[in-house]
Amino acid sequence: MYKGESMKELLRIKDLHASIGGKEILKGVNLVVNEGEVHAIMGPNGAGKSTLSAVLTGNPAYEVTAGEVWLKGENLLAMEPETRARAGVFLSFQYPVEIPGVSMTNFMRTALNEKRAYEGKEPLSAKEFLLKVKEKRQLLELPDKLNNRSVNEGFSGGEKKKNEIFQMAMLEPCLAILDETDSGLDIDALRIVAEGVNRLKTPQNASIVITHYQRLLDYIVPDFVHVLADGQIVKTGDKSLALELEEKGYEGIEN
Amino acid sequence: MTEVHLHNNECFEKVFLNEPVDLQITQEAGSRVKIHLINVQWDIVQCTKEVVNRITIEQVGEGCETEIYALAYLRGEEKVTTETHVNHAVGGGKSNQLIKFVLDDDARGRFIGDLKIAPDAQQVEANQTNRNLLLNETAEMRTQPQLEIYADDVKASHGASTGQLDESALFYMQQRGIGKQKARQLLIGAFMKEVIETISNQYSAIRDEITQYIESES
Repeated sequence: MYKGESMKELLRIKDLHASIGGKEILKGVNLVVNEGEVHAIMGPNGAGKSTLSAVLTGNPAYEVTAGEVWLKGENLLAMEPETRARAGVFLSFQYPVEIPGVSMTNFMRTALNEKRAYEGKEPLSAKEFLLKVKEKRQLLELPDKLNNRSVNEGFSGGEKKKNEIFQMAMLEPCLAILDETDSGLDIDALRIVAEGVNRLKTPQNASIVITHYQRLLDYIVPDFVHVLADGQIVKTGDKSLALELEEKGYEGIEN
Repeated sequence: MTEVHLHNNECFEKVFLNEPVDLQITQEAGSRVKIHLINVQWDIVQCTKEVVNRITIEQVGEGCETEIYALAYLRGEEKVTTETHVNHAVGGGKSNQLIKFVLDDDARGRFIGDLKIAPDAQQVEANQTNRNLLLNETAEMRTQPQLEIYADDVKASHGASTGQLDESALFYMQQRGIGKQKARQLLIGAFMKEVIETISNQYSAIRDEITQYIESES
């Protein structure tokens, strides 16, 4: 339907409604994200920020009750979660999941090769894979030892968030959703994570940065700032809107 | 039933792969036992009847060590009961048990874990852990731990839990592009690996065989 409408359009969310456990959280979200853009979504707790990221990635706990989402002209909502990921949607989890017994290396290699298979590419050889790991790890200043551990198990809060961005660097998504990536990070970790994200930016990809605070946006400068309140985007502006929010609070903006 | 008598400081180590076991071991001072019961590949004919594994350990000398590891991966209508009876009749001994079941389809698993520490058996360290994974709503697990501890200066711990695959871990893997089946396979493999990894290097051939089988089947 939207295929070819715009060469640069990456994501189109149209009147999206979603609920969890019968409770409606998203009440008609509209958003268009073009290639090369950084969108920040801010809003008070309970506004639906995390629900939006869950719905875009196909989390089975949420039910889409109305609306459409198109990724490069494809019906995103019709895809399985893994297909969405292979098609280039990446979520940096607010709470990365620990998976005891599954090594980070095995996990990452499986994920990367499944994506490559989807793209019709050969799997990476062990050597190519390790070179890529080494290169991307440096970007995040991640210690070597983490690769031999189980996924996220025993990682500190900062290591978990860096590990999310490391995975993003490995998978090279066209759309990265960063869900409260700044929460629980000290200022040094925040800087490293943000620099990592900035270095991964290309004219062809885009990110949606979900955050409660303006702080992260000092480092990842958005092209657009949207205020999500009670399940709808109630205001859109440029980066100065984030500063205004910081000053006046969400209630000041809504009124 | 097979009876084994271990004299002072003797060792008994064995991996039982897909064979029912009925074993009674008497341990004299300083002797060591390490047993693996692996039930992962029952023959179609066998799976109509219930398979019972029974291990009985009598620690009659001081300073004995006993390790029992059991893993059953059951599908279809397979049924396995694993019984362990560990009796610390004297002090200073150690026992460690890790019993895991993975149950799919209409499989039935049962663990009976009998652990006794006699009144004079001081300074015993005993652990019994039973973890079970249900892959299907129709699979069933029964766990009956029985602990009788009569000595007061001992370290005894036990735990039993039955759960399902971690949905949040499944989704996390899917979000990275790993297909749901493959993600399940990785999680099931990780669950079973904890038992397989305890098999000693002298049994590395059988350990690798089991690992390969699990990776191809789960």
